[in-house]
Amino acid sequence: MASPPDSDAALIARAVVQDDRHAFAELVRRHQSSVRACLRKLTAGNHALADDLAQETFVLAWRHLKSFRQEARFSTWLYRIATNCWLADARKRKEELLGDAGGDGDDEAMAAALGEATPDHARGSALRMDLERAMAALSEGERAAIVQCYHNDLSHEEAAYVLGMPIGTVKTHILRGKQKLKLALAAWAPQA
Amino acid sequence: MNTHTTPEPREPDDWLEQALRNDAREHRDGYVDDAGFTARVMAALPAAVEVLPRWRRPAVAAIWAAAAAGMALALPGVALDVGREAFRLLAAHPLSLPQVGLTLAVLGLGTWVAAAWTLQRD
Repeated sequence: MASPPDSDAALIARAVVQDDRHAFAELVRRHQSSVRACLRKLTAGNHALADDLAQETFVLAWRHLKSFRQEARFSTWLYRIATNCWLADARKRKEELLGDAGGDGDDEAMAAALGEATPDHARGSALRMDLERAMAALSEGERAAIVQCYHNDLSHEEAAYVLGMPIGTVKTHILRGKQKLKLALAAWAPQA
Repeated sequence: MNTHTTPEPREPDDWLEQALRNDAREHRDGYVDDAGFTARVMAALPAAVEVLPRWRRPAVAAIWAAAAAGMALALPGVALDVGREAFRLLAAHPLSLPQVGLTLAVLGLGTWVAAAWTLQRD
């Protein structure tokens, strides 16, 4: 009879105390899907970038595993590191782009999303694609808050921990993000 | 979205809320295949630092103590001769108080550095 799988806490303890890399590999295997999926959402479907950031996330997790105090779930802690990696990368890219073009990138992207949301699209997957495009046009805070609360199914409190911001700010980001999405996807709204 | 904090949409026509929930459900249901990802992560980890087993230090001390005891037993006259010669050399060479102080200071400094280095290594 197979023994039950070790809990995250047991694997973390082995990785920290005994420097057990096999235990950490098991943690990576267990959480890689959710972390990579989260980063794919945050990077608006850029799988290569998402995987690079996911790798960076796990390497950072390994380096700082001793500082993990179990005050949150291990997956939530990983989301926090992943979101920080993504934010740092997004800021770096924004700084590089600022030298090339002026203007508010978010507004331009939102305008592009608005223009592309036509009612002629087939429903279902087309709505998903438009939603992804509109999500990409949100500010980093708005996108991150929506991904953590909807896609990662975190509570507002957990999202606040992951994003390192007050709960009120998380709620504001979600509200503003949804307003923008509603505007960008107005063509999908059912006719009254 | 976590149902503990956010209730289901009250308005039946809240199509955006529904679209977000559907997208989130598909997102959670989908599994990203590992496809060598874990192996890449493990290869990217910093090299392992050699961790010495706990029993190593007392074992080394015991071996050295046994070796010293063995030497003393095997060559009983040698230690006595060395001590006698050292005393003769020191007695023949008169030392001033500053020299003694300097010697003690050098010995103390050496001991302190050795202790600090050992603690840092641990």
